[in-house]
Amino acid sequence: MSDMHYTLGSDQSLAWKQINCFPPGGYGYAEPGIYATDAAECAAYNVVKSFYQIYPEVWNIDYVAKETGLKEEDIAKRLRRLYDEHLIMFVMNPNVGVYGWGLYYWVVKLKEGTDPKVKEEFIKWYQNKDDICTGYLTEGDFDFFNGDHMRVLDNLLSDVIGPWKNHPAVDHVHLCPIRGDVRESMVNQWHVPEDKYRNFVISDELRQKFLKAQTKIDKDDFAIIEALNSTKSIADMFNFAKLEELSGLDGEQMKKDIIEVVDKRKLMILQIYINYRALGLSLQMYLVRMFQNVPSYRKQEIVSEFMNMPEFVDIFQFGDSFYDCLLSCYAEINDIDAIRKKLENYAEIEEVWVANSKRQFRRWTARLDDENGYWEECVMTDDFLQDWTDPNSVRCPFCKEAEEDK
Amino acid sequence: MRVEHPREYVINNLQYALNPKSIAVVGGSRYSTKVGYKVIDGLQTWGYQGKIYPVNPRADLVAGRKAYKTVKDIPDEIDLAFLAVPAHIVKSVLEDCVAKKVKIVVIATSAFKEIGRGKLQDELTQYCRDNKLPLIGPNLVGMGSPYLNFNCGFIPYLPIKGPVAMISQSGANLLAALGTSQKDHFGMSFFVGLGNKADVDFCEFVAYAGRDEHSKCLAIYIEGLDCPEAFIEACQSVDKPIVTIKVGGSKIGEKAAFAHTASENAGTNDAMYDEIFEKAGAIRATTWQEFLDVSMALGMQPAPKGDNIVMITNGGGSGLLSCDHFERVGMPMHELVEISPSLPGRIRAYMPMFGSPLNPVDISGTASPVQYKGAFTQAIRDPNVHGILGSICPTAVTDVPAVTDIVINIYDTYKHLGKPFIMECQGGEECQEAIMKLRDHGIPAYPTAEQAVNAMHALYKYGQMKNKKK
Repeated sequence: MSDMHYTLGSDQSLAWKQINCFPPGGYGYAEPGIYATDAAECAAYNVVKSFYQIYPEVWNIDYVAKETGLKEEDIAKRLRRLYDEHLIMFVMNPNVGVYGWGLYYWVVKLKEGTDPKVKEEFIKWYQNKDDICTGYLTEGDFDFFNGDHMRVLDNLLSDVIGPWKNHPAVDHVHLCPIRGDVRESMVNQWHVPEDKYRNFVISDELRQKFLKAQTKIDKDDFAIIEALNSTKSIADMFNFAKLEELSGLDGEQMKKDIIEVVDKRKLMILQIYINYRALGLSLQMYLVRMFQNVPSYRKQEIVSEFMNMPEFVDIFQFGDSFYDCLLSCYAEINDIDAIRKKLENYAEIEEVWVANSKRQFRRWTARLDDENGYWEECVMTDDFLQDWTDPNSVRCPFCKEAEEDK
Repeated sequence: MRVEHPREYVINNLQYALNPKSIAVVGGSRYSTKVGYKVIDGLQTWGYQGKIYPVNPRADLVAGRKAYKTVKDIPDEIDLAFLAVPAHIVKSVLEDCVAKKVKIVVIATSAFKEIGRGKLQDELTQYCRDNKLPLIGPNLVGMGSPYLNFNCGFIPYLPIKGPVAMISQSGANLLAALGTSQKDHFGMSFFVGLGNKADVDFCEFVAYAGRDEHSKCLAIYIEGLDCPEAFIEACQSVDKPIVTIKVGGSKIGEKAAFAHTASENAGTNDAMYDEIFEKAGAIRATTWQEFLDVSMALGMQPAPKGDNIVMITNGGGSGLLSCDHFERVGMPMHELVEISPSLPGRIRAYMPMFGSPLNPVDISGTASPVQYKGAFTQAIRDPNVHGILGSICPTAVTDVPAVTDIVINIYDTYKHLGKPFIMECQGGEECQEAIMKLRDHGIPAYPTAEQAVNAMHALYKYGQMKNKKK
């Protein structure tokens, strides 16, 4: 065996990529040096995820107070309320490309005139299918935009898409494998330049509009969320003394580890998600298809230009798909027609499909469906070493049948 | 952490682990495949009559019950807090339990000393000790009792009622025993997994079992003893048979035992444990099957007053296997005429001319239920006979169910004589049925000669130990 380890971000890794002219970062590459999400190195995330619901002191309130000018007690109270009303959720995005999964989104279009009751059946199935770790209910040019982290594409096709693909109400389903995860829930992800990594993106104008468009998050609440989502280092997000007090684990070690995991190795991103559904807001989604003869570098340039537009809440870039990217913005605070026109002004863009989403099913494995009593139930599925094309094969416990069907 | 002596407050509070009136299930989950749900589901399914309070800060309802954000939020007294949460949550929950004056906590959670977090485990243990809050675990599957329809943990079985208190450091082997209980009618009084035994130690469960009315025998699976002296002290204080099995003695097993339940066996050896068990007055089994077989016999039967054991069989081969094994274990059989000079003649009347009134007594393959009855009755009534080992080897003419009923009848009739009665039934389905029926009536029964002999030998050994103690 080679004594080379190619640990992520190491000189060895970078040198190898240069020599081989092949940058892993596509679909389902397991990189050396990753940590499982329950590893000791991810303890800070796990401690906060377990306690922030009842102990807002897990956040770095001192830092937030300095950033916002608010009193510490007020900040804690507000964070508690924001959670209790299910307006926010502390979430984690793993850098799926290095964890050995592909991140496969797929867009579903039902036939025109489909009975709403039929659509309801689809909603229920998608909401409850645990393998669908993220998903949006939409209205417009498409009806659903869902996604799975999956190691084997055939497993997705046979088990997650197969059961309803030939339903008479389905017009089509198109796969959108993620090539670049640029922005999610207003926070820049991995496929951005170094100086933009983990940036919380919103303009002053949009901030004002956001505050006017809904009544549940006020200026100070937003400032708190913004402060926590904008820390330069992940370490500034948390109060490690409190984490140590609650867990008994070494606070300094947790801090060192999470810096390594998030800031240095970029294995995961931790952020506060704003539950737009609970705010009465909606996401306008633009599914962008560029001409197939547009060279890849130009497609990348265009996506990079989108990256600089603060109106976009999410920016997903696809590969091997009919579509090249999906962009979303809050419908209530943007001129959604103007954005469409802006997109259509790109000669490289062949077509833009538009739909509006008032409901997200899950935020990367964490359920958002309050109405079913599953708020923040986190259900991690994995098809590792499994063959779902064989109905009699061994399955992970959550990949068998939906909870409600048991 | 070491326990120097069995602690009275711990022993007293163990009743709340095995017979709680209210339970907080911390980490109670909404998902039926998750451990926190299984705990609640198990409690409900097996008929637990007390109150169940799920604790989950994200949920309003768990398994149809109102969920509480913390233990402190529960508006009722809590006897037992069962923790099925990740390790990093445990400290905070323990603090809540102390504030709530919970009587005892059980921590199912893994990832403590066994993965190198010994310091954290010790700190939490010390905190519990400082606050007189007994802690069972961490790193265990649970506990329960069939007498109370109580099954608390992620355990798919509730054993049948019986005499054996099963105290196990291993969850997997405990589950194996529980599964065996249902399948093979191995009755238990209660069961508990101790896991890392950070706080509550073997010695305290030994003392508790000694006081428990349903426990007639203690079966203890050990991966490592932190304080042998405390174990010996507890065992010596108990006037019930104790069976142990000790693992982790092999070179690689030593490491495996640490990785499993953080058991430290470095510097120990098998001979040392022999000595510990000898002092404790415990009978040491070397295989899992022997552990179960012997425990059952000691739970069901009295010790023989001596080694005059009479074996009555319809199969010469089974008799030979038995007498050879008796000799192998250091308890050679005596000829019938040596035991009681007139007994061979009396037994002769119940066998054909080609039968053998030696010992084993071979009443031959044609033996009828009437012949079995006569031979057994003659033997058990003889004052010089200290115990009976019966054997059924089905031939085409053997009426196994009828012989089984006769054995049960004779055992019931002469139980007051205080003589152990053990059966061996070697054969097919009808023998399996006979074994189950005999066990259900308090008669240890086994499918092989060696198992039956081991059981009788353990009873004899226990009798010797008791005599020595006097």
